[in-house]
Amino acid sequence: MTFTVLKPGLQTTVQAGPRTGLRHLGVPAAGAADPLSLALANRLVGNPLLAPGLETTLNGVSLGFQSDGFVAITGARAKAWLNSEQVKLHRTLAVAAGDELEIGAARLGARNYLAVAGGIDVEEVLGSASTYLPAGLGGVHGKALRSGDVVATVPAAGTPKTLKTPKEFRPPASNSWALRACYGAEVDLLNKESRFDLFDTNFSVGFRADRMGLQLEGARFEVTSGGRLASAPVFPGTIQCPEDGIPFLLSIDAQTIGGYPRVAQVARADRHLIGQLRPGDHLRLLWRDVGSARDELLAKHDYWGKWLPGIHDVI
Amino acid sequence: MNPGVRLCGDDVVSVACEDTQSAQALADHLRESGEWLECVAGIASCVAQFDLAAVSAEEAVRRMASALRDAPAARDADAEVVEVPVCYGGDHGPDLDDVCERLGLSREAFIELHTGSEYGVDMLGFTPGFAFIGGFEAAQEVPRRSQPRVRLAAGSIGIAGGRTGIYTLPSPGGWQIVGRTPMRLFDTSSAQPFRLRAGMRVRFVAIGPDEFDGWCAE
Repeated sequence: MTFTVLKPGLQTTVQAGPRTGLRHLGVPAAGAADPLSLALANRLVGNPLLAPGLETTLNGVSLGFQSDGFVAITGARAKAWLNSEQVKLHRTLAVAAGDELEIGAARLGARNYLAVAGGIDVEEVLGSASTYLPAGLGGVHGKALRSGDVVATVPAAGTPKTLKTPKEFRPPASNSWALRACYGAEVDLLNKESRFDLFDTNFSVGFRADRMGLQLEGARFEVTSGGRLASAPVFPGTIQCPEDGIPFLLSIDAQTIGGYPRVAQVARADRHLIGQLRPGDHLRLLWRDVGSARDELLAKHDYWGKWLPGIHDVI
Repeated sequence: MNPGVRLCGDDVVSVACEDTQSAQALADHLRESGEWLECVAGIASCVAQFDLAAVSAEEAVRRMASALRDAPAARDADAEVVEVPVCYGGDHGPDLDDVCERLGLSREAFIELHTGSEYGVDMLGFTPGFAFIGGFEAAQEVPRRSQPRVRLAAGSIGIAGGRTGIYTLPSPGGWQIVGRTPMRLFDTSSAQPFRLRAGMRVRFVAIGPDEFDGWCAE
């Protein structure tokens, strides 16, 4: 099956699972910024959970289909239309040649995911089909989709069942988030007051917010690094605090090495939520010791595993 | 517990290392064990990410402490020295004159100095394949530019804080650009996409603009 991009939206890319095991060569993870939502979409069309799908940013996408197939939309709270008729998220949708599908602007959350039965047909680069825009890797020629791009999908193995995501497995959309986090490697470089503020500030997400990371506004932190810290490895979920005192939360495209104090690390259990944060959203960090962070991850896997077998590879 | 081993996050263990060489040797050792998701050496630390669903933090710390006992102090030196051709100055190296002024050197003296030693690749990072090359002591006091450039050409060679950096991809960047190499150091269409690796030895070789164009035409 193929479809054509009619309106590409702000930044629509092909995303699948992350690149793994290559950070020592400078290769960032990339992949769906909210992998849980990609997995939920793939589940509805019978694909492997991390099959390549489309990730939209803030204002959706419009597509025209050249052949019949099945799709599903998940992620941010948004409206969607099939030939001007409103359709619901979290459903298996049949599309026919000549149909137009539009995902509207996200009203809560930042990103929507569109899965197509069979998965989008792009080559894997360094082990993943995911687009990494800064280096032009993966996806459709390493770029965000543009008007007129024709995208092919892998032929689906049979007709998927028509499904709805059960209500208890639809992640709530929000503009106010809490992410569980543990202390980072250089938390000691924060003074006592700033260390307290880290977990006692109602942050708002700044306008500098993309797949690389997000600025957290709301308190000015005092770090005593003097700006001369040896470059050290960072990961998605790492919160760095540069000398300007404005913390920066790294997201899925995070560079591999950073030179600023790493003051906290968002727990693995909640890292998938980073992909739904948008400028202006409220955010609190909840301190966890590493033991409870693990218990909460295992509990989350247990819960989501009932609808998404294989969730362990997703979040 | 080894005092040098600490958790920094729920699924990341960090070890302070004496130098970049021992950090690399430890990262290699961890990678070979197959027990870790990512093993990255920094300038003075080695950091590994583990699968928190399969391994508890206590177990990860224990494994790291035991790896620390078993890992060699430094990896075997690479016999190969990679020669990196560089066209210094002009459009390819817009900051060369500023750097020379700061160091009190003529262009010729700077080029002789920079091409006169062998260097070690400390790490790859920042963007895929970006090489941090240590050991350019003469430029210890050369800072990054206060205003980073929005776009640097692939192959740009920068100087900052006693290191040489090679931008393998077009990207923004704040290092002082003294030249550019026509050599492709990151190429996903190649069987070996990364020409340089941490621990490799590098020597810079000065080439002229015509030779640069010749390389690019190949």
